[in-house]
Amino acid sequence: MKNGNGTTNPWGKWQQSMLDEGFANARRFSRLPLLYQKAQRIRKGATPSEVVYEEDRLKLLHYPTDQPPRYATPLVFVFALVNRPYILDLKPGRSVVEHFVKRGFDTYLVDWGAPTRADRHLTFDDHINGYLANVVDFLRERTAAPKVNILGYCMGGTMSAMFTALHQERVKNLMLLAAGIDFATRDGLLNLWTGPECFNVDKFVDTFGNCPAEFLQASFLLLKPVQNLVEKPINFFERLDDDEYLDDFLTMETWLNDNIPVPGEIFREFVKYLYQQNLLVQNKMPVGKHTVDLRKITCPILNIMARNDDLVPCAQSAPFNDLVSSTDRKSIIIPAGHIGLAIGGKAQKEVWPQACDWLAERS
Amino acid sequence: MSDGSNMEKTAEQWAAFQKIWTDTFAKMMQLGFTSPDAAPPEFLRQIRGGIFQALSQSWDEFMRSPQFLESMKQWMENAIAFRKMSNDFLTKARHETQAPAREDIDATMQAMHHMETRVLDRMEELAKQVEGLTARVDNMSGTKPRPTKRASARPRAAKNRKQGKTRKQP
Repeated sequence: MKNGNGTTNPWGKWQQSMLDEGFANARRFSRLPLLYQKAQRIRKGATPSEVVYEEDRLKLLHYPTDQPPRYATPLVFVFALVNRPYILDLKPGRSVVEHFVKRGFDTYLVDWGAPTRADRHLTFDDHINGYLANVVDFLRERTAAPKVNILGYCMGGTMSAMFTALHQERVKNLMLLAAGIDFATRDGLLNLWTGPECFNVDKFVDTFGNCPAEFLQASFLLLKPVQNLVEKPINFFERLDDDEYLDDFLTMETWLNDNIPVPGEIFREFVKYLYQQNLLVQNKMPVGKHTVDLRKITCPILNIMARNDDLVPCAQSAPFNDLVSSTDRKSIIIPAGHIGLAIGGKAQKEVWPQACDWLAERS
Repeated sequence: MSDGSNMEKTAEQWAAFQKIWTDTFAKMMQLGFTSPDAAPPEFLRQIRGGIFQALSQSWDEFMRSPQFLESMKQWMENAIAFRKMSNDFLTKARHETQAPAREDIDATMQAMHHMETRVLDRMEELAKQVEGLTARVDNMSGTKPRPTKRASARPRAAKNRKQGKTRKQP
């Protein structure tokens, strides 16, 4: 704003911008009553799917397409036990599943389901040598392919690595996404908090049974308290009039708050054997009557990591490529967080097309 | 531990805690003296961003401190003790009325789980034996070896399997 002499009037500028901000706030407040309706319309999972296999609480989703699959080897996504798996298929344009389906892969996703108190005694053995082995065998029978491709995310990545080490003959290619392998690092707060001097996991599981969803939720929130409890609500309010942002925010929050408990025994094994004793990198990780030896992995490996991951720091995933016997190994590191690795704009534009190419060359 | 050393420890913890927050406020004050080139809302946003960044760093530092880890441990132990006390009370109340408590159901589930593991292990062994016998019979008769299904997977899935059930088509 200029006065009669052609010079800038700072007071005018200030007044104008304060007025604009006042109107913008009024606009934002007027949108608040519509939020509930919008939140109700959020869909869980974007790509059409069908259940092709069920066992106890586990469901195997298949993503059918009009065209026959371009590659003979099926691809199965293995997600963590701590949240719902639809983060991998969050919404059109932000879906990892969509990338692979569009490229012609015969794609499946393991939904572990929500455990009840009756599942508290389920262990890694039940999940890896039981459920996951059965899913893979089912896929081999269904598709007549001798092997499957596996993509494991977070804890699902750790489990996929263990499965591949125990059943290498059934896995053609292994892709890991922010998978915890070497837990010696103290970069992440979770590594510190779960140390044996801070956390008695035996007492915890014996008393609580399953690890409560609220406990996990609170722990994840505490990893970045200022961002999660202060910045996020403020940013949300400031962008209430941005429809695209609002849709992204509500979709993400729906997933973040859709927590499930973790079966007690597997939580005990995960904390004790991995976070506290770091047995996987020592090739001493017990899974039932078997011991996981990562050196038995010989298939091609793609290890995808996020530089700003506060849940599974890069230092926890990166050593994997040096622990296996595979000769075909590749790592991708992007500047993103744990979730951004799957749904972030950069990951969607750069990482997933690259991962599809990598898998296409080997399927 | 004597009262004197307890007080000393508390004073040390307090000093460490104070240092973290003094540093934070110093960083925040520095940000307050940035020259206001931009319009007020944007300028305030810049200050706010800086403050949040300083706060995040301080929180991260605080949550890694031995003081925080010690208090977290105490808090967890108290939560577990409280939960255990309420579990014990409810179990006793259920048992007094001759009703099964949750721990009885847990014990039954565990017994079933162990039994299932034993049965599955035995079935795996039998499957391997049958596989070996089949191979020997094939060798003796000179036929091609028959392909075996799920030689090492846990076979319990078969009873629950359902195929082609459509769940959702958004």
